[in-house]
Order: sequence, then structure tokens, then C-alpha cells
Amino acid sequence: MKYVEEFRDAELGQVLAGEILAAVDPERHYKLMEVCGGHTHSIYKYGVDDLLPDNVELVHGPGCPVCVIPMGRVDDGIAIARNEEVIFACFGDMLRVPGSERSLLEAKAEGADVRMVYSPLDALRLAKANPDREVVFFALGFETTAPSTALTMMRAKAEGVSNFSCMCNHVTIVPPLRALLDSPDLRLDGFIGPGHVSTVVGARPFEFIPADYGKPVVVAGFEPLDILQAVLMIIRQLGDGRREVENQYTRVVPYEGNLRALEVMAEVFELRPHFEWRGLGFISQSALRLSDAYADFDAELRFATPGVRVADPKACQCGEVLKGVIKPWECKVFGTACTPEHAIGTCMVSPEGACAAYYNYGRFARDRVVV
Amino acid sequence: MEPLTPHCDHTSGCITCGDEAIAMKVLRIDRERGLALCANEAGERSSVETALVEPVEPGESLLVHAGTAIGRDSEERVVA
Repeated sequence: MKYVEEFRDAELGQVLAGEILAAVDPERHYKLMEVCGGHTHSIYKYGVDDLLPDNVELVHGPGCPVCVIPMGRVDDGIAIARNEEVIFACFGDMLRVPGSERSLLEAKAEGADVRMVYSPLDALRLAKANPDREVVFFALGFETTAPSTALTMMRAKAEGVSNFSCMCNHVTIVPPLRALLDSPDLRLDGFIGPGHVSTVVGARPFEFIPADYGKPVVVAGFEPLDILQAVLMIIRQLGDGRREVENQYTRVVPYEGNLRALEVMAEVFELRPHFEWRGLGFISQSALRLSDAYADFDAELRFATPGVRVADPKACQCGEVLKGVIKPWECKVFGTACTPEHAIGTCMVSPEGACAAYYNYGRFARDRVVV
Repeated sequence: MEPLTPHCDHTSGCITCGDEAIAMKVLRIDRERGLALCANEAGERSSVETALVEPVEPGESLLVHAGTAIGRDSEERVVA
């Protein structure tokens, strides 16, 4: 596609790699976090890390909404899905995420009517096509996905589709970043900011990172040259003594975001006082629920859910992986008990998860630390 | 039997992924319903909600995530 191939140009990649090598201080170790799961995948799909000097390390952040969903929420979803009248609609990745006893896919095998959809609008269509059933959409995702859910809820309300409701698990990007930055065991020099979340929220919300924590942020696209250029921009900031938010992805991300998207989100959602993140614990004001104006469409008010908090499996170290404290292959069960086919942790389930990325692209053997 | 691997992988733009959206070209517009028929890189067509990027015209490239256009894909090139 036009304007895609240019961003995968191998020669330009070598040029950027050379500029990065020239810009780094050989005496210094650089630890940069890519916040978004999409970046993690591009890095390993295209071998971006192989082009970086040894003293530039990329660590993977919490930017996969499937990976951060706690088991208790999966159990709640399954409880709703098991109601006889319910068609439970969710995105494909979510189907295999393990709850405390089973996944949604296993619940489907046991008879629950669980269906995969590609968009919230598909779920609304299901509701219109099945007026004698209750269609529940399991909404999740960062601010990239939330506007799509918001528009669908507005349509459902405007069209009076009363057999449609939403179990809202949308999360927001800034609170977990702040929680990560407050974590005492985290040592980071800079952030590759999420590209498409920023299409919606803009680059401005990340200004607290340089202002309060003195770390550079560069919002980046997903092609290999985008990521290399973002790394170069961060290293130049560090070398120049600058600490600011820069936007590498100007072809897509307006600095102020998509104001219309923010408006529809503000109408349909409000912040939850707190929400549990897998591996990160409870983070205040880090997730969305339907606003009072849309309470009639709230599946959690329409159906009974257990609402029980479930501790992560002991062997699973998704929490440390999500915080960037350990690499996926340093987890005790990585590639042995935990594989994409039989995942213990969510980072292995989602194709965007850091563990799945390492596993699928053959990184699991590298520098493995025996514990 | 459902395949073990989720349908939405990174090559086509994962639906739930924190962040990834795909570029799609507008083919036809249904202004009344606020939808546009769009095609992705592989020529696969789907209807896309356009309320957040109105007004759109056929031929424009939109950034689409979970069936909704969240932005435009402009044509600025990478600068090495």
C-alpha cells in the first residue's frame, strides 16, 4: 500500500540505525518502554531490536487491554454468557483468556452462546437480528476502542434497541503509566508513546511524564522506521538534556487528539473510581463505565455477576512482564507450561501480548535466564 | 471447532489491541446512516462508522479501529 512500503525501507532503516549508534553515549545504558502492544509486535516482527546498539534496551509496557483484564472480570463475563437468553458478543482475543475455571471459549463449548464480533456495531446488529434474545457486548480496549463502543451505545439508545447492553471494561492509558512511574522497582529512561491511542487522546495527556518524572516521550507509528525514528528522537532528547513530548506520528496523530471522539466518550462513559489491572493491582480512575444516561444499557446492572476478585496464578509472572521488570523469557513457565496453545497468563493469550510476541517470533531462546 | 489462534492477528490489525488501527480507503458513503463502505490493503470491504471524522469523501484514507474511523491517514513521509 502506498505510504506503507516507504516505512519498511531497509536502507532507510540502516541509515536510522547508524544515526542511533552515533547518538548514543557508549558509557550509558538506555532502557526505553514501548507502551503499546502493537509496537511490541512490530519490533519483533521486523527485528527492530536487532538494529539497535547493545546498550539500548526496549522493554514492553502494559498496552494490551486483553493482557491486563483480571480473571475476575472474565468470570463475570462468563456468568452473564451462561444466561439462557443471552448472546454474548466479544472480540476474538478475549475468547481464550482464562478465567478462574474456564475461558469464554470453553463456556461456549459447554453451551453458552458466545460469538466473536469484529466491532461493537456488529454486536448491535446481532441484537437487531435477534429481538427475542439479550445481546451483551463485552467491551474492552484503550481509548482507541472506546469511541467505537460509545458511538454504538448512542446508536442503540437513539434506535431504542432495548435487548442490547454492554459490559464495559474499557481502560485508560494515563493512570497505569503513572502507576508504573511510581513503581520503585522500575528504571526507565524514556517512553515510546502509543500511536493510535494518541489519535484519539492526542499527545498532550503525556506531558506529565516529562513534567513530573523527567522522562522523554515520543508518540510513534507502528512501522519499523517509525519505531527507529522514535528511538532516535528519545536518545537525542536525553543527549540534549531535553525532556518533552514529541510526536513522531504526525501523519496520523493531531497533538490535541480527536475532539469529537473525546466528546462522545464523555457523553457515554464516566470514570470508575478504581479498576483492577492484571499484575498492576487496583489503579484509581483507570477504567470507564457507562454513564448514568446510559445505565439502561449497562449489562452489569441488568445481569447478576459474581464480582469476585481472583488472584493471578502463582506461577504466572505477567505482572512483572507488564511492568517491564522481567523479560518474557525470564518467566518460570514461559514456553514450557505457558504457550499460546495452553496459556496460563494473559500476555501469552493475546497476539499483542509481550509473551506471545516473543514466543511467535522465536525470541524465547535468547539470553534465557535460568531461575 | 474454533481455531486456537485468534482471528484478529497483528498482520490485519488486531481489534482489541491497545492501539492498532488500519488504513482503509473510502469507496462509497451512506450519509443518512453515517457509514462508509471502505476497503483495506487486501481489498476486503467493510462498512465503517464515520461520525468522528466527518465530512469524508470517496477516495480518502481513514484510520479504522473496531469498525470506526478514528482519524485520517495523511501522506507525510518518513524523514530519516
